[in-house]
Amino acid sequence: MQKYPNPMNPSVVGVDVLDRHIDPSGKLHSHRLLSTEWGLLSIVKSIIGAARSKTYVQEHSVVDPVEKTMELQSTNISFTNMVSVDERLTYKPYPQDTEKTVLTQEAIITVKGVSLSSYLEGLMASTISSNANEG
Amino acid sequence: MNSVGEACTDMKREYDQCFNRWFAEKFLKGDGSGDPCTDLFKRYQQCVQKAIKEKEIPIEGLEFMGHSKEKPEGSS
Repeated sequence: MQKYPNPMNPSVVGVDVLDRHIDPSGKLHSHRLLSTEWGLLSIVKSIIGAARSKTYVQEHSVVDPVEKTMELQSTNISFTNMVSVDERLTYKPYPQDTEKTVLTQEAIITVKGVSLSSYLEGLMASTISSNANEG
Repeated sequence: MNSVGEACTDMKREYDQCFNRWFAEKFLKGDGSGDPCTDLFKRYQQCVQKAIKEKEIPIEGLEFMGHSKEKPEGSS
């Protein structure tokens, strides 16, 4: 039985550099295009067309060779009318041991113009107030 | 790792090898001058641009040839 890639975890199948330059302060900027596959069943792919099964992400990274830091920001450019996934990662030397690296990662997911965090807050607020009324 | 444009993969690999060498041996050691990969990059870029147009990939507002750009706003 053939195993398919995990549809919850896309795999990156293509990477291209769109632009790369060093800014006046000596930091290296790269703009990259990533293409990802979701492991759709081949029958689904044959219905929607193989080209449509790929989703694309645009990534901007900055490497500071002096501070030894790297910052990455990425955003999806496919399905932007449905969902927006913005991710930001920073890599810095660990202060107590500069042989180690600290990674900070955050992602903001917005569905149809409503940020998920504000949707959850709204839900909690209305739950709390309706519980208070019942008491 | 392949290119988005199938025809560009070889050019991409050549450029990547050149870049990785310059990045590790020069840039990270403090020598950011003299990028030896410019010609390779130009050829590779022409191919990628063509593939992007053909596949209608919606890249927003990216200036090529060296301008730094703000990250575009989220949804369309």
